[in-house]
Amino acid sequence: MSGIDLIGVSKSYAGSDRRAVDDVSLSIRPGEIVTLLGPSGCGKTTTLRLIAGFERPDSGSVGLGARVVADSATWVPAEQRGVGMVFQEHALFPHLTVVRNIGFNLRRGDAAKRVAQMLELVGLTGLGDRMPHELSGGQQQRVALARALAHDPVVVLLDEPFSSLDADLRLQMRAEVRRILKDAGATAVVVSHDQHDALAISDTVVVMRDGRIEQVGTPREIYQFPHTRFVAEFVGASNVLHGVMGATGDRVDTALGEIACAHTHGLAGGTNVLLSVRPDSFEIDEDGPVQGTVLSEIYAGTNTDVTMRATTANGQSLDLLIHAHPERALRVGDTIRVRVLPDFVAVIEE
Amino acid sequence: MISAVHTLWARAWRGRPPQGWLLLVSLATAILMAAPVLYVGVRALAEDAERWTVLLDERIPALLWNTVSLAAVVGLSAGVLGLSLAWLVARTDLPWRQTLRWLVAIPLAVPPYVGAMTYVVVFGPRGWVSDIVGSTPIDMYSFAGAAFVLSIFTYPYVFLVAGSAVGRMGRAHEDVARSLGLGRFAVLRRVTLPLLRPATGAGIVLVVLYVLSDFGAVALLRYSTLTSAIYYQMGGFDTGAAAILSVVLIALTLVVLGVEASTRRRARFYESSGAAQSPRRIELGRLRWPAFIYVATVFLFAGLMPLMVLGYWTAQGLLIDGLDPRFLQFALNTLQAAGLAAAVAMFLAVPVVYLRSRHASVPAAVIERLAHAGYALPGVIVALGVIFFSLRLAPVVYGTALMLSIAYVIRFLPQAMQSASASLELVSPRIDEAARVAGLRPLGVIVKVISRLIAPGVLAGGALVFVSSAKELPATLLLRPAGFDTLAIRVWVEASDGAYHLAAPPALVMVLLSLLPLKWMLDRFREA
Amino acid sequence: MKIKILLAAMLSLLAIAGTGCATQTPVESSSADEPGTLVVYTSRKEAFVEPLLAKFTTDTGIKVEALYADDAVVNRLKEEASRPRADIMIGNDAGALEYLRLQKVLAPLPAPPAGLDSIDPAYRATDGSWFGLSARTRVFIYNKDLITETEMPATIWELTDPQWKGKFAITRGGNGSMVAHVSALRFVWGDEKSEQWIRAVKENAGAITDGHSDIRKAVGAGEFAFGLVNNYYYHLQVREPEDNNVGIIYPDQGQGDMGAMVNAAGVGFVADGPNANSAKTFAEWVLLPENQKEFSGTSLEVPLNPRIEAPEGAAAIDSYKVHALKLSSLGEVWEGTRSLIERAGLDLELK
Repeated sequence: MSGIDLIGVSKSYAGSDRRAVDDVSLSIRPGEIVTLLGPSGCGKTTTLRLIAGFERPDSGSVGLGARVVADSATWVPAEQRGVGMVFQEHALFPHLTVVRNIGFNLRRGDAAKRVAQMLELVGLTGLGDRMPHELSGGQQQRVALARALAHDPVVVLLDEPFSSLDADLRLQMRAEVRRILKDAGATAVVVSHDQHDALAISDTVVVMRDGRIEQVGTPREIYQFPHTRFVAEFVGASNVLHGVMGATGDRVDTALGEIACAHTHGLAGGTNVLLSVRPDSFEIDEDGPVQGTVLSEIYAGTNTDVTMRATTANGQSLDLLIHAHPERALRVGDTIRVRVLPDFVAVIEE
Repeated sequence: MISAVHTLWARAWRGRPPQGWLLLVSLATAILMAAPVLYVGVRALAEDAERWTVLLDERIPALLWNTVSLAAVVGLSAGVLGLSLAWLVARTDLPWRQTLRWLVAIPLAVPPYVGAMTYVVVFGPRGWVSDIVGSTPIDMYSFAGAAFVLSIFTYPYVFLVAGSAVGRMGRAHEDVARSLGLGRFAVLRRVTLPLLRPATGAGIVLVVLYVLSDFGAVALLRYSTLTSAIYYQMGGFDTGAAAILSVVLIALTLVVLGVEASTRRRARFYESSGAAQSPRRIELGRLRWPAFIYVATVFLFAGLMPLMVLGYWTAQGLLIDGLDPRFLQFALNTLQAAGLAAAVAMFLAVPVVYLRSRHASVPAAVIERLAHAGYALPGVIVALGVIFFSLRLAPVVYGTALMLSIAYVIRFLPQAMQSASASLELVSPRIDEAARVAGLRPLGVIVKVISRLIAPGVLAGGALVFVSSAKELPATLLLRPAGFDTLAIRVWVEASDGAYHLAAPPALVMVLLSLLPLKWMLDRFREA
Repeated sequence: MKIKILLAAMLSLLAIAGTGCATQTPVESSSADEPGTLVVYTSRKEAFVEPLLAKFTTDTGIKVEALYADDAVVNRLKEEASRPRADIMIGNDAGALEYLRLQKVLAPLPAPPAGLDSIDPAYRATDGSWFGLSARTRVFIYNKDLITETEMPATIWELTDPQWKGKFAITRGGNGSMVAHVSALRFVWGDEKSEQWIRAVKENAGAITDGHSDIRKAVGAGEFAFGLVNNYYYHLQVREPEDNNVGIIYPDQGQGDMGAMVNAAGVGFVADGPNANSAKTFAEWVLLPENQKEFSGTSLEVPLNPRIEAPEGAAAIDSYKVHALKLSSLGEVWEGTRSLIERAGLDLELK
């Protein structure tokens, strides 16, 4: 397995002024699972297709392992790059059995053995003679993954691999796909617009927006400490507050009072900043410093989504989204008090 | 006891038994459509065993071979033509592909017997080419001639059906294959073509069914098939033998339909799900212009040349004799018989389609299948059935123009049903329920709500039935009353006699008439 | 918008179809009481019959509805005998007319029409169900550029000679003239030899066509050296502006030969036809000398009535040796001939 190096890669499509991918640089380590996350049109799929060799960059270079596969002078087409691909709709060849799908164009002496290995890896031993339409959605996905891995690809690319699956199956397949990729030791790039998929499956999440990389980080970093307002609001929900850095550099002064914040990018005291406070950072506490009334409450099982109208220090009101413990019965109009935990608070850029 | 019957009844309909009148109308339609054809079978079985033996020994083997070999060769070559054109036009950077997409579909508007006529004019033994060059490259009055003419005038079926599959194809399969190390040509051969196999097969089935049913083209090109044999047998005092040959032909048709049903079952799995992105356009490179010449040549032979021949002879005809003074009457006859058929087909299609969609169950499926009895059956057999049937059971109808329209409805009702059904699929059953809740009775739901919603589909189906009826030849030949010639009949009569200046004007009218629904069909196949 | 146009188009179609039906209805219900119409079924070429019928309408005011359906009309008349639609059958072969009489599809008029005596009894039904008007003789037409008169076969039997393989054209066995011809051959040769002849001729023929027009044109154009046709096709081809260097051979004229086969085109009366009065009017009208001439008219057949002038250049019927078969006897053997032809494999095939 190899790493992937994108250096200053840009790509625009004919008939569009906008760059689909705009000066993207990204380094992926061998064996790493990376998810390109972002809304549709953010350039994540184009980035994937640039790595696969289905698109050619306008500028910049793409490296797979030690080999440069695309730059201004080099062009290696898709079929010679040795990448494996898994598509949203699985794209199994409907006219071939499971075995022949997995063994498709597998030109090696031990092809049969390799296919059997793959079937075992994805847990489908015994189903090799089925036709694709005789498989469930999850099984189809496993076959698609096995087919991609059978060739010992330098990297595996997965395009929205979970979006065609039902909610239950999806949870199960996230774990399963991660296990299979890790067992195979594969370097994998996943494209997704679903934060839950991204957080669950990846070693590294790359959030993209308008063709550019917004933030790269572990799932935890991305969720706990978003760098920008876009990341904060796209990955999970967030309350974004205006504030001023405190003198000590570990607190931010906001309309809700001073909030402890460990993630301040070392900004100097007195700087005007935006602060992202995740709904999970609020805890209902009789003695909390912030008081407000419940505007709405939605019971969601694992927690209760509460919208609270808080009264700020200067007497104005501010609506906050709060995750309350589900055991706590709240009614619209109740007056509550909350405090802010420092765990999910980060200073962000606009 | 009664409640037990009720339970059984309800169970047969999967808990949704239809209103009595709906069932009655649909059932009556189904019986009307199926009875004449079944009657042909009855008539054949009533023949002496000796008649059967003589025919089976002497006549049928040769006819069967003639028919099957022609159908196979035409199916294959139309398949190759249709698929290659569909792929070139939809997937490559062929020059002027948008225009060509239109042009290569035009032969669909040329009835094959009209096409055959134009080929006799140009390549026949006394044709233009023979006059100029002294010999012809192909003997039109041969297997090769019949196969060639039928191929170039039927490939649009494959072009349309395979073309729509090409259009629906996502890029995922091809991308996967390339990521697995296949080059472009290998992707085409190992992935793209196999994926298009079911749709191409479906198109070829349509072509084969057409070849089985064709009378005019093979007769003009002096080739014998089962269908033309039935027609001549009818002319030769021998309805019994015609009925026996018909049963053989029906059996052959059923075999083809059986093949179609199984491919269709498989084809379901070939449809890509999800919002697939359209695949990349393939650059033909050095082959771009050769490919263009190929496509243009097909259009030249299948579209441009026939139209030019018709145009030339129409002009000649108008200059030599002026328009046949009876022409207007022939056109009105055509309009009347085909118009009535279209109207009746639209009216009958709705209840059957509604029953099938909203009361889906075994009985509903049986009724719908029965209503398809005339589908794919050659016109001569339908005519034979209508003659037998009306003489025995409805002599009032016999020998009237009405009989002609009935035969058209039997042959072409499925076209109206398919069109109406496609529209009805888009109307959620919740609409029906909403209308019922709003206080409409079941009949009111159909008349006031559903009919309006599916009107475009029903009308389009009616238009198809109209055009098909206007072009219909074999049943018209056998059924027309005295003094009631249609345009199709005139083309046939004059072309058989070599009077091309008289055959061309009605032929041209029919071609222009058929061009009208062509755009609609192209659009429908693109969306489908 | 598009839908509205389509809707309007379909509605207007319906309206037209509706009015069409409305105008059609009285015609359908027309009965013997309504003398205004005559329904004619004919196996003859439209070009031959249409001018005759147009003249009839001009002369009598009776509207004609004609069905031109080649030999299929015979079967159609038979099928619908229980509920006849036609009044008159204009046939091109006495065998078929007699066959229909025997099947009781044709029946005599209540009284013999005036002028019937002008036709030789040999050329009409004994009971007057049909009568012939013009003669059609089976001949060879040949292309003078390809073959000389002396090289041409002189008898029908010579068609079986392998030297003619691929050189000539005939019609398929379902053609009425061919059926009658085979009946005549059976009369002389018996079934076995006739069947032998059919098989050999089928094998030898360069083309087997649906009708005779193709043969005369093909021979004229030099595709085949000669063809077996009815005599008037020769006269038609001679009058063509080009490809007209053709000759005619009346076969079997030698000592002891059977003579050329003569058939007759004529008029038959459908039993219980819907417009009996019109049929009677037509019978008397067509027997008028000028109309007898018109009947042969554009076909260039030779009138059976010797007092009617023959077309220019056509051999008068008494100028060559004719087959001894009585025309009305063709009817009885009709079905036998059909099955003989079918057994020999010639009834359908085109080649």
